[in-house]
Amino acid sequence: MDWVAVVLSLKLAIATQLLLLPPAIIGARWLALTPFRGKVWIEGLLALPLVLPPTVIGYYLLVIMGSQSPLGRSFENWWGQSLAFSFTGLVIASAFINIPFAVQPAQRAFEAIPTELHEAAKCCGLTFWQSFHRIELPLAWPGILSAVMMTFAHTLGEFGVVLMVGGNIPGETRTLAISIYDRTQSFDFTAAGTMSLFLLLISVATIAVSYGLAERLLRRRRLT
Amino acid sequence: MKNQSRGWLKIFGFLLLVICVPQAHAAAPIVAAASSIKFALTEIAAGFEAETGQALKLTFGSSGSITHQIEQGAPFELFLAADENSITRLATQGFSQDGGRVYASGRVGLFVPHAVQYQADPQMAGLRSALQQGQIKRFTIANPAHAPYGRAARAALKSAGLWQEIQPFLALGENASQATQFAASGATQGGIIPLALARTPEIETRGQFVLFPTDVHADEPLHQRMLLLKNAGKVARDFYAYLQQPVAQQILARYGFDLPAKENP
Amino acid sequence: MSLRVAIYHHAPELDFEAVIPVGQISALVGPSGSGKTSILRGIAGLLKTRHARISLANEDWDTQDLHRPTRERSIGMVPQQHALFPHLSVLGNVEMALGHLGRAEKRQRAQESLQLAQIAELANRRPQELSGGQRQRAALARAIARKPQLVLLDEPFSAIDRGMRKRLYLELRHLHQQLHNTVLLVTHDLDEAAQLASYLLLIDQGRLLQAGETTQVLTQPRCEQAARLLDIPNIFNARIIETAGQRQLQWGEHRLKISADISPACGKVKFAVLPQNPLLVKSDRPWGSHLENPVSALVRDIVTLGGEVVLWLQPLNMPETRLQVRLPERAIRRYPVISGSQVTVCLRAADIVLLED
Repeated sequence: MDWVAVVLSLKLAIATQLLLLPPAIIGARWLALTPFRGKVWIEGLLALPLVLPPTVIGYYLLVIMGSQSPLGRSFENWWGQSLAFSFTGLVIASAFINIPFAVQPAQRAFEAIPTELHEAAKCCGLTFWQSFHRIELPLAWPGILSAVMMTFAHTLGEFGVVLMVGGNIPGETRTLAISIYDRTQSFDFTAAGTMSLFLLLISVATIAVSYGLAERLLRRRRLT
Repeated sequence: MKNQSRGWLKIFGFLLLVICVPQAHAAAPIVAAASSIKFALTEIAAGFEAETGQALKLTFGSSGSITHQIEQGAPFELFLAADENSITRLATQGFSQDGGRVYASGRVGLFVPHAVQYQADPQMAGLRSALQQGQIKRFTIANPAHAPYGRAARAALKSAGLWQEIQPFLALGENASQATQFAASGATQGGIIPLALARTPEIETRGQFVLFPTDVHADEPLHQRMLLLKNAGKVARDFYAYLQQPVAQQILARYGFDLPAKENP
Repeated sequence: MSLRVAIYHHAPELDFEAVIPVGQISALVGPSGSGKTSILRGIAGLLKTRHARISLANEDWDTQDLHRPTRERSIGMVPQQHALFPHLSVLGNVEMALGHLGRAEKRQRAQESLQLAQIAELANRRPQELSGGQRQRAALARAIARKPQLVLLDEPFSAIDRGMRKRLYLELRHLHQQLHNTVLLVTHDLDEAAQLASYLLLIDQGRLLQAGETTQVLTQPRCEQAARLLDIPNIFNARIIETAGQRQLQWGEHRLKISADISPACGKVKFAVLPQNPLLVKSDRPWGSHLENPVSALVRDIVTLGGEVVLWLQPLNMPETRLQVRLPERAIRRYPVISGSQVTVCLRAADIVLLED
């Protein structure tokens, strides 16, 4: 059981949340409430990571972050190590591929808030941020929680992009999913089996908790 | 209410910083190696760590993909390839200070899983008749595009005149290790795999293996070269030296590698 | 001191101008789709329009260059679907409108509001646990919490059953008496408007038809559209003629005297008569000069409807015309009227309402 990889995977999942969620929530709210032409295109763009093969995403991420890119080079000059094949690079890649998982459930949750409630909030004298904080977030909570859970589970299981952008560096980019692949290649099927089961159980638990919580919260807020 | 939000923001920012800021402290150097020497190198590295107390991080893949990663800025300090071309390519691009050193020569052979009924022989006569009888549905080699052992396998099949015939049945492993896994798993009816990997207990018990003479893959002689990369630190250099010493060489020999002659470019 | 409103808008089509008195309960009445809710929302500042001029007393809310956001307007609104925040209790909902106050003061003011709206005992319940009437009370409590100068109500009683409605009318009037603010109520129910409001505005297809004191508007429609909106069934074509220096109404073969203080031009005209106004004269009663404009008519139909008798009379020699008359039942009891018989009905000059084009 590769505990280093487990810890790394958890670190990656948490870091992705921290980096992705605030802009995702704000972006989701903006998309939910601002009608404008071409919104469909933006929504489509944000959904790209869902349909693109990880290899395509990995390829473009390497182009953007690798040592031959301006971003990669300036990162190297600043921190002394490469952006690709580092944990930081992995967090960026992971945040990118999880955009649809974070934005879509949150957007649906914001869209579900009836317009009258927004207007009632204005009539109560609430400013934009007050309304966002006291009315919208509490009501959109199930969707946001769902976004958190889906992103978490998805990051734990991500393989293709992690391999392409991170390589297989123990303690740095060898996540649990990569480690399983690694063990399989070393014919260590026992270890691979144990870790696979572990990942399976975590994923199932995460999804179950997420669905259960969301259902419970929805019931509380439903208007008869 | 406002103070509460500010508090959350602070914790948040702190966590983000702590997790994401790159670890600047000196960590164990990363040694990248072709997957064919996985077991041999792991043993050697363990010995090195026991002897010197210095830790190493190992990562394996095909020589081609590791080369590509280095070109993309992967932070490896030492690279043990399964061929010479990868090394030459990196050296010419200026990723190292010298041209590296041959540390071993690899061997390939034919592996036939127990469940399949044909003989494993160096001339591949058994394979030929199995092909003609339609017994072969899948045959695995490493991907010649980026694995030297794959190129060697292709050369061997060409010299036996079987390359065209076996084309439709080829299942390419991403590297020599994956090809070995395919061969041993029973999902294929045989494959051409490195001797070093065939010698491991998990593989040995699953089928017959026969070694090819080196002249059948003269195009890809599998002279394996290693390279110290530009940013190599002290520990990496020590390991580079260690690999050339008798204790390491013995381990390599045990795994079926041919050792380089005393004088070496 | 008044609420001046002018809104011009495309979808829905609005071309509305009105001056609404302050300190009273006013009602904006019109059929569904007439734009009343949009106007209410426009006054609240929720309508996206650039062509609005709205001001309350000496405070400008919407001008050519200025659009004061909703939260800066001294308003409280109860929308049609009450829009209570489902994740908060009733108390929480009311307190949400008092965000600018300290915790203790907030609590106290919220309790006051709840008391006024008669829903204090349900303060800790969630909206989902309340009945329709209770939800409206809660929404009202929230709307008045900030002590706004203008309270806007959008069909607040449409989903409430009849018995509860009567109670709520009383409570609303009581509330208004205590708060002395301006209330603008939107409704499609004329009876509701008549009971609650002292000032009435009639609207149809985004336009103001008539505005004025309630009794006046209800009894003196200004145009045919207003008369139809008020459900007045008796709208007839006639002619203004001049005889001996006096203007009279030629209705079929009948000549009717009209009120002296109106001087319309001669020609075609329409007029309305409220069904409660015509007087039925007994056939055996001799004529007196105090009975104006007697018209002989045949009783075509009689229907008794809850204490009232509705008659459809056909004036002689006007076979297509029907004059609807409503009388209390006791008036008919002593002198029964039967279908087919001939009667005399008096249309007093004051009851003849001439309609503008």
